[in-house]
Amino acid sequence: MIHYDKSPAIACKPFEEDLVLYYYGELDSPGRTAVESHIQSCEPCRSYMKEMQVILPLTVKPDEPPQAFWEEYSREMRRKLTQAGERQSWWWSLTSFLQPWVIPVTATAVVAVLAVTLTLGKGFWGSKEIPQDDEAFMEIMPAAENLEFFKTMEVLDAMDLLEDMGSPAKGSA
Amino acid sequence: MQPGDEQLVALARSGNHKAFEELVERHKQKAYRIAFDFSRDREEAKDLSQEAFLRAYTHLGNFDGRSAFYTWFYRILVNICLDYKRRKQRTSTEEFNENVENQLEATHVPQRPPAPDQMVLAGQLSRKVSDALEALPPKQRTAFILKNNQGLSIKEIAEMMQTAEGTVKVHLHRAVTALRHSLAEFA
Repeated sequence: MIHYDKSPAIACKPFEEDLVLYYYGELDSPGRTAVESHIQSCEPCRSYMKEMQVILPLTVKPDEPPQAFWEEYSREMRRKLTQAGERQSWWWSLTSFLQPWVIPVTATAVVAVLAVTLTLGKGFWGSKEIPQDDEAFMEIMPAAENLEFFKTMEVLDAMDLLEDMGSPAKGSA
Repeated sequence: MQPGDEQLVALARSGNHKAFEELVERHKQKAYRIAFDFSRDREEAKDLSQEAFLRAYTHLGNFDGRSAFYTWFYRILVNICLDYKRRKQRTSTEEFNENVENQLEATHVPQRPPAPDQMVLAGQLSRKVSDALEALPPKQRTAFILKNNQGLSIKEIAEMMQTAEGTVKVHLHRAVTALRHSLAEFA
Protein backbone atom coordinates (compact mmCIF):
# COMPACT_ATOMS: atom_id res chain seq x y z
CA MET A 1 0.00 0.00 0.00
CA ILE A 2 1.27 3.49 -0.85
CA HIS A 3 1.54 6.00 1.95
CA TYR A 4 0.90 9.63 1.12
CA ASP A 5 1.54 11.19 4.48
CA LYS A 6 5.27 11.58 3.89
CA SER A 7 6.69 14.48 5.85
CA PRO A 8 9.14 16.84 4.16
CA ALA A 9 12.76 16.94 5.23
CA ILE A 10 13.57 19.43 7.97
CA ALA A 11 16.59 21.64 7.42
CA CYS A 12 18.59 23.59 9.99
CA LYS A 13 16.50 26.68 10.76
CA PRO A 14 19.27 29.29 10.20
CA PHE A 15 20.03 27.79 6.78
CA GLU A 16 16.50 27.23 5.51
CA GLU A 17 16.02 30.52 3.67
CA ASP A 18 19.58 30.42 2.33
CA LEU A 19 18.97 26.91 0.96
CA VAL A 20 16.02 28.24 -1.03
CA LEU A 21 18.04 31.19 -2.30
CA TYR A 22 20.93 28.87 -3.10
CA TYR A 23 18.61 26.65 -5.13
CA TYR A 24 17.53 29.69 -7.18
CA GLY A 25 21.09 31.00 -7.54
CA GLU A 26 20.33 34.15 -5.56
CA LEU A 27 23.19 34.00 -3.04
CA ASP A 28 26.39 35.98 -3.34
CA SER A 29 29.74 34.20 -3.38
CA PRO A 30 30.34 34.06 0.43
CA GLY A 31 26.74 32.90 0.95
CA ARG A 32 27.14 30.13 -1.62
CA THR A 33 30.38 28.94 -0.05
CA ALA A 34 28.76 28.89 3.41
CA VAL A 35 25.80 26.82 2.19
CA GLU A 36 27.97 24.41 0.22
CA SER A 37 30.28 23.70 3.15
CA HIS A 38 27.27 23.27 5.47
CA ILE A 39 25.49 20.85 3.12
CA GLN A 40 28.57 18.61 3.00
CA SER A 41 28.37 17.97 6.71
CA CYS A 42 24.59 18.15 7.26
CA GLU A 43 22.39 15.28 6.10
CA PRO A 44 18.98 16.94 6.79
CA CYS A 45 19.94 20.03 4.78
CA ARG A 46 21.16 17.80 1.96
CA SER A 47 17.78 16.02 1.96
CA TYR A 48 16.02 19.39 1.97
CA MET A 49 17.96 20.46 -1.10
CA LYS A 50 17.27 17.16 -2.90
CA GLU A 51 13.55 17.52 -2.17
CA MET A 52 13.49 20.98 -3.66
CA GLN A 53 15.25 19.67 -6.76
CA VAL A 54 12.49 17.06 -7.18
CA ILE A 55 9.39 18.99 -6.12
CA LEU A 56 9.86 22.49 -7.50
CA PRO A 57 10.23 21.52 -11.18
CA LEU A 58 6.90 19.65 -10.86
CA THR A 59 5.11 22.96 -10.31
CA VAL A 60 5.92 24.13 -13.85
CA LYS A 61 3.26 23.00 -16.28
CA PRO A 62 4.70 22.71 -19.78
CA ASP A 63 2.80 24.46 -22.53
CA GLU A 64 3.98 25.14 -26.07
CA PRO A 65 1.15 26.62 -28.13
CA PRO A 66 1.45 26.04 -31.90
CA GLN A 67 2.28 28.81 -34.37
CA ALA A 68 -1.40 29.07 -35.37
CA PHE A 69 -2.24 30.01 -31.80
CA TRP A 70 0.18 32.97 -31.89
CA GLU A 71 -1.11 34.13 -35.24
CA GLU A 72 -4.66 34.07 -33.92
CA TYR A 73 -3.46 35.81 -30.77
CA SER A 74 -2.00 38.70 -32.77
CA ARG A 75 -5.07 38.98 -35.01
CA GLU A 76 -7.40 39.11 -31.99
CA MET A 77 -5.17 41.61 -30.26
CA ARG A 78 -5.11 43.93 -33.28
CA ARG A 79 -8.91 43.83 -33.46
CA LYS A 80 -9.27 44.57 -29.75
CA LEU A 81 -6.74 47.40 -29.94
CA THR A 82 -8.57 48.97 -32.87
CA GLN A 83 -11.85 48.87 -30.92
CA ALA A 84 -10.19 50.34 -27.84
CA GLY A 85 -8.52 52.99 -29.99
CA GLU A 86 -11.82 54.05 -31.50
CA ARG A 87 -13.37 54.40 -28.07
CA GLN A 88 -10.44 56.44 -26.87
CA SER A 89 -9.79 58.62 -29.90
CA TRP A 90 -11.64 61.67 -28.56
CA TRP A 91 -9.80 61.39 -25.24
CA TRP A 92 -6.44 61.02 -26.94
CA SER A 93 -7.00 64.12 -29.02
CA LEU A 94 -7.59 66.01 -25.80
CA THR A 95 -4.54 64.63 -24.00
CA SER A 96 -2.31 65.23 -27.02
CA PHE A 97 -3.38 68.88 -26.87
CA LEU A 98 -2.37 68.96 -23.21
CA GLN A 99 1.38 68.99 -23.82
CA PRO A 100 3.63 69.40 -20.75
CA TRP A 101 4.14 73.12 -21.51
CA VAL A 102 0.42 73.90 -21.78
CA ILE A 103 -0.33 73.80 -18.04
CA PRO A 104 2.45 76.15 -16.79
CA VAL A 105 1.83 78.57 -19.67
CA THR A 106 -1.92 78.67 -18.96
CA ALA A 107 -1.31 79.11 -15.23
CA THR A 108 1.11 82.00 -15.86
CA ALA A 109 -1.39 83.67 -18.20
CA VAL A 110 -4.20 83.36 -15.62
CA VAL A 111 -1.98 84.85 -12.88
CA ALA A 112 -0.96 87.73 -15.17
CA VAL A 113 -4.58 88.50 -16.08
CA LEU A 114 -5.59 88.42 -12.42
CA ALA A 115 -2.73 90.71 -11.43
CA VAL A 116 -3.58 93.26 -14.14
CA THR A 117 -7.29 93.15 -13.31
CA LEU A 118 -6.73 93.63 -9.59
CA THR A 119 -4.18 96.44 -10.08
CA LEU A 120 -6.18 98.45 -12.62
CA GLY A 121 -9.58 97.68 -11.17
CA LYS A 122 -8.64 98.47 -7.57
CA GLY A 123 -10.30 101.92 -7.57
CA PHE A 124 -13.33 100.62 -9.33
CA TRP A 125 -13.91 97.74 -6.93
CA GLY A 126 -12.81 99.67 -3.80
CA SER A 127 -15.23 102.60 -4.31
CA LYS A 128 -18.23 100.38 -4.04
CA GLU A 129 -20.27 100.96 -0.89
CA ILE A 130 -21.81 98.29 1.22
CA PRO A 131 -25.32 97.63 -0.02
CA GLN A 132 -28.22 98.96 2.00
CA ASP A 133 -29.46 95.51 2.86
CA ASP A 134 -26.07 94.52 4.29
CA GLU A 135 -25.94 97.65 6.46
CA ALA A 136 -29.36 96.90 7.91
CA PHE A 137 -28.32 93.32 8.56
CA MET A 138 -25.18 94.39 10.43
CA GLU A 139 -27.26 96.70 12.66
CA ILE A 140 -29.79 93.99 13.46
CA MET A 141 -27.19 91.33 14.36
CA PRO A 142 -26.03 92.81 17.74
CA ALA A 143 -29.65 93.52 18.68
CA ALA A 144 -30.59 89.93 17.94
CA GLU A 145 -27.71 88.71 20.10
CA ASN A 146 -28.90 90.96 22.96
CA LEU A 147 -32.38 89.58 22.59
CA GLU A 148 -31.06 86.06 23.07
CA PHE A 149 -29.17 87.24 26.15
CA PHE A 150 -32.30 88.78 27.72
CA LYS A 151 -34.28 85.63 27.01
CA THR A 152 -31.67 83.59 28.89
CA MET A 153 -31.80 86.03 31.82
CA GLU A 154 -35.59 85.70 31.94
CA VAL A 155 -35.33 81.93 32.15
CA LEU A 156 -32.78 82.19 34.98
CA ASP A 157 -35.02 84.61 36.87
CA ALA A 158 -37.94 82.24 36.49
CA MET A 159 -35.83 79.37 37.84
CA ASP A 160 -34.80 81.45 40.88
CA LEU A 161 -38.44 82.26 41.54
CA LEU A 162 -39.42 78.60 41.35
CA GLU A 163 -36.62 77.65 43.73
CA ASP A 164 -37.78 80.30 46.23
CA MET A 165 -41.33 79.07 46.06
CA GLY A 166 -40.35 75.41 46.47
CA SER A 167 -37.84 75.92 49.35
CA PRO A 168 -39.34 74.66 52.69
CA ALA A 169 -36.88 76.67 54.78
CA LYS A 170 -38.03 79.92 53.28
CA GLY A 171 -41.66 78.82 53.42
CA SER A 172 -41.45 78.05 57.16
CA ALA A 173 -39.55 81.23 58.00
CA MET B 1 18.34 49.46 -35.29
CA GLN B 2 15.10 48.50 -33.56
CA PRO B 3 13.44 51.15 -31.39
CA GLY B 4 13.40 50.47 -27.64
CA ASP B 5 10.24 49.83 -25.67
CA GLU B 6 10.18 53.40 -24.35
CA GLN B 7 10.38 54.83 -27.88
CA LEU B 8 7.50 52.62 -28.94
CA VAL B 9 5.51 53.75 -25.91
CA ALA B 10 6.12 57.39 -26.87
CA LEU B 11 4.95 56.68 -30.42
CA ALA B 12 1.89 54.81 -29.16
CA ARG B 13 1.01 57.71 -26.88
CA SER B 14 1.02 60.03 -29.84
CA GLY B 15 -1.59 57.81 -31.50
CA ASN B 16 0.59 55.37 -33.43
CA HIS B 17 -1.28 52.07 -33.08
CA LYS B 18 1.37 50.12 -34.95
CA ALA B 19 3.90 51.03 -32.27
CA PHE B 20 1.77 49.41 -29.60
CA GLU B 21 1.19 46.38 -31.81
CA GLU B 22 4.96 46.03 -31.98
CA LEU B 23 5.08 46.07 -28.15
CA VAL B 24 2.46 43.32 -28.11
CA GLU B 25 4.54 41.23 -30.52
CA ARG B 26 7.61 41.67 -28.34
CA HIS B 27 5.98 40.76 -25.04
CA LYS B 28 3.08 38.47 -25.95
CA GLN B 29 4.85 35.16 -25.36
CA LYS B 30 6.22 36.11 -21.97
CA ALA B 31 2.92 37.73 -20.96
CA TYR B 32 1.02 34.63 -22.03
CA ARG B 33 3.45 32.40 -20.15
CA ILE B 34 3.02 34.37 -16.89
CA ALA B 35 -0.77 34.29 -17.28
CA PHE B 36 -0.56 30.56 -17.97
CA ASP B 37 1.46 29.99 -14.79
CA PHE B 38 -1.31 31.66 -12.83
CA SER B 39 -4.31 30.15 -14.63
CA ARG B 40 -2.80 26.86 -15.91
CA ASP B 41 -5.27 27.05 -18.79
CA ARG B 42 -4.48 28.06 -22.36
CA GLU B 43 -7.63 30.00 -23.22
CA GLU B 44 -7.71 31.78 -19.88
CA ALA B 45 -4.04 32.69 -20.21
CA LYS B 46 -4.73 34.17 -23.64
CA ASP B 47 -7.67 36.23 -22.34
CA LEU B 48 -5.78 37.44 -19.28
CA SER B 49 -2.67 38.47 -21.17
CA GLN B 50 -4.74 40.22 -23.86
CA GLU B 51 -6.69 42.05 -21.16
CA ALA B 52 -3.39 43.22 -19.68
CA PHE B 53 -2.27 44.57 -23.08
CA LEU B 54 -5.56 46.40 -23.50
CA ARG B 55 -5.37 47.90 -20.04
CA ALA B 56 -1.79 49.01 -20.66
CA TYR B 57 -2.87 50.55 -23.97
CA THR B 58 -5.75 52.51 -22.48
CA HIS B 59 -3.62 53.62 -19.50
CA LEU B 60 -0.44 54.50 -21.36
CA GLY B 61 -0.84 58.04 -20.02
CA ASN B 62 -0.16 56.69 -16.52
CA PHE B 63 3.21 55.22 -17.52
CA ASP B 64 5.69 57.74 -16.13
CA GLY B 65 8.84 56.03 -17.37
CA ARG B 66 10.36 55.69 -13.89
CA SER B 67 10.50 51.92 -14.37
CA ALA B 68 10.99 49.95 -17.57
CA PHE B 69 7.88 49.39 -19.70
CA TYR B 70 7.97 45.64 -19.12
CA THR B 71 8.10 46.12 -15.31
CA TRP B 72 5.05 48.39 -15.50
CA PHE B 73 3.25 46.11 -17.91
CA TYR B 74 3.96 42.88 -16.00
CA ARG B 75 2.72 44.57 -12.83
CA ILE B 76 -0.61 45.18 -14.59
CA LEU B 77 -0.63 41.59 -15.82
CA VAL B 78 0.08 40.08 -12.40
CA ASN B 79 -2.69 42.19 -10.84
CA ILE B 80 -5.14 40.99 -13.49
CA CYS B 81 -4.10 37.38 -12.87
CA LEU B 82 -4.53 37.76 -9.11
CA ASP B 83 -7.94 39.39 -9.59
CA TYR B 84 -8.92 36.52 -11.84
CA LYS B 85 -7.83 34.03 -9.18
CA ARG B 86 -9.89 35.82 -6.55
CA ARG B 87 -12.95 35.85 -8.81
CA LYS B 88 -12.46 32.18 -9.63
CA GLN B 89 -12.10 31.20 -6.00
CA ARG B 90 -15.30 33.07 -5.17
CA THR B 91 -17.15 31.35 -8.01
CA SER B 92 -15.86 27.90 -7.11
CA THR B 93 -16.91 28.43 -3.48
CA GLU B 94 -20.40 29.36 -4.65
CA GLU B 95 -20.48 26.35 -6.99
CA PHE B 96 -19.27 24.10 -4.18
CA ASN B 97 -22.01 25.31 -1.86
CA GLU B 98 -24.57 24.82 -4.62
CA ASN B 99 -23.34 21.28 -5.27
CA VAL B 100 -23.47 20.41 -1.58
CA GLU B 101 -27.06 21.65 -1.41
CA ASN B 102 -27.97 19.67 -4.53
CA GLN B 103 -26.35 16.53 -3.16
CA LEU B 104 -28.24 16.86 0.09
CA GLU B 105 -31.46 17.18 -1.84
CA ALA B 106 -30.70 14.27 -4.19
CA THR B 107 -30.91 10.60 -3.26
CA HIS B 108 -27.91 9.71 -1.18
CA VAL B 109 -25.55 7.37 -3.08
CA PRO B 110 -22.44 6.27 -1.18
CA GLN B 111 -19.28 7.37 -3.05
CA ARG B 112 -16.37 4.99 -3.45
CA PRO B 113 -13.05 6.50 -2.22
CA PRO B 114 -10.45 6.95 -4.99
CA ALA B 115 -8.09 4.02 -5.39
CA PRO B 116 -4.50 4.83 -4.27
CA ASP B 117 -3.15 3.83 -7.68
CA GLN B 118 -5.14 6.59 -9.32
CA MET B 119 -3.34 9.12 -7.17
CA VAL B 120 -0.09 8.57 -8.99
CA LEU B 121 -1.54 9.49 -12.34
CA ALA B 122 -0.14 12.54 -14.00
CA GLY B 123 -3.51 14.26 -13.99
CA GLN B 124 -3.76 13.89 -10.24
CA LEU B 125 -0.30 15.32 -9.79
CA SER B 126 -1.21 18.31 -11.92
CA ARG B 127 -4.37 18.90 -9.89
CA LYS B 128 -2.47 18.54 -6.64
CA VAL B 129 0.10 21.07 -7.80
CA SER B 130 -2.66 23.46 -8.91
CA ASP B 131 -4.37 23.18 -5.55
CA ALA B 132 -1.10 23.70 -3.70
CA LEU B 133 -0.34 26.82 -5.76
CA GLU B 134 -3.85 28.19 -5.35
CA ALA B 135 -3.62 27.70 -1.60
CA LEU B 136 -0.67 30.09 -1.43
CA PRO B 137 -1.41 33.69 -0.43
CA PRO B 138 -1.30 36.01 -3.50
CA LYS B 139 2.06 37.63 -2.70
CA GLN B 140 3.76 34.28 -2.07
CA ARG B 141 2.25 32.85 -5.26
CA THR B 142 3.39 35.86 -7.27
CA ALA B 143 6.95 35.76 -5.91
CA PHE B 144 7.13 32.02 -6.45
CA ILE B 145 5.80 32.01 -10.01
CA LEU B 146 7.98 34.91 -11.11
CA LYS B 147 11.07 33.24 -9.64
CA ASN B 148 10.45 29.52 -10.15
CA ASN B 149 8.65 29.62 -13.50
CA GLN B 150 9.83 32.87 -15.07
CA GLY B 151 13.34 32.96 -13.67
CA LEU B 152 13.21 36.65 -12.85
CA SER B 153 15.76 37.96 -10.37
CA ILE B 154 14.74 38.90 -6.83
CA LYS B 155 15.47 42.53 -7.76
CA GLU B 156 13.14 42.41 -10.77
CA ILE B 157 10.41 40.75 -8.73
CA ALA B 158 10.78 43.37 -5.99
CA GLU B 159 10.39 46.13 -8.61
CA MET B 160 7.36 44.45 -10.10
CA MET B 161 5.73 43.85 -6.73
CA GLN B 162 6.79 47.31 -5.52
CA THR B 163 8.33 45.91 -2.38
CA ALA B 164 11.75 45.33 -0.77
CA GLU B 165 14.03 42.53 -1.95
CA GLY B 166 14.08 41.12 1.60
CA THR B 167 10.30 40.86 1.53
CA VAL B 168 10.41 38.95 -1.76
CA LYS B 169 12.93 36.51 -0.24
CA VAL B 170 10.59 35.93 2.70
CA HIS B 171 7.60 35.36 0.36
CA LEU B 172 9.64 32.95 -1.75
CA HIS B 173 10.90 30.99 1.25
CA ARG B 174 7.39 30.68 2.70
CA ALA B 175 5.96 29.60 -0.65
CA VAL B 176 8.62 26.91 -1.06
CA THR B 177 8.05 25.68 2.50
CA ALA B 178 4.28 25.44 1.91
CA LEU B 179 4.72 23.65 -1.42
CA ARG B 180 7.19 21.17 0.06
CA HIS B 181 4.60 20.28 2.68
CA SER B 182 1.75 20.00 0.15
CA LEU B 183 3.75 17.99 -2.36
CA ALA B 184 6.00 15.96 -0.04
CA GLU B 185 4.43 12.71 -1.27
CA PHE B 186 5.99 13.26 -4.72
CA ALA B 187 9.53 13.76 -3.44
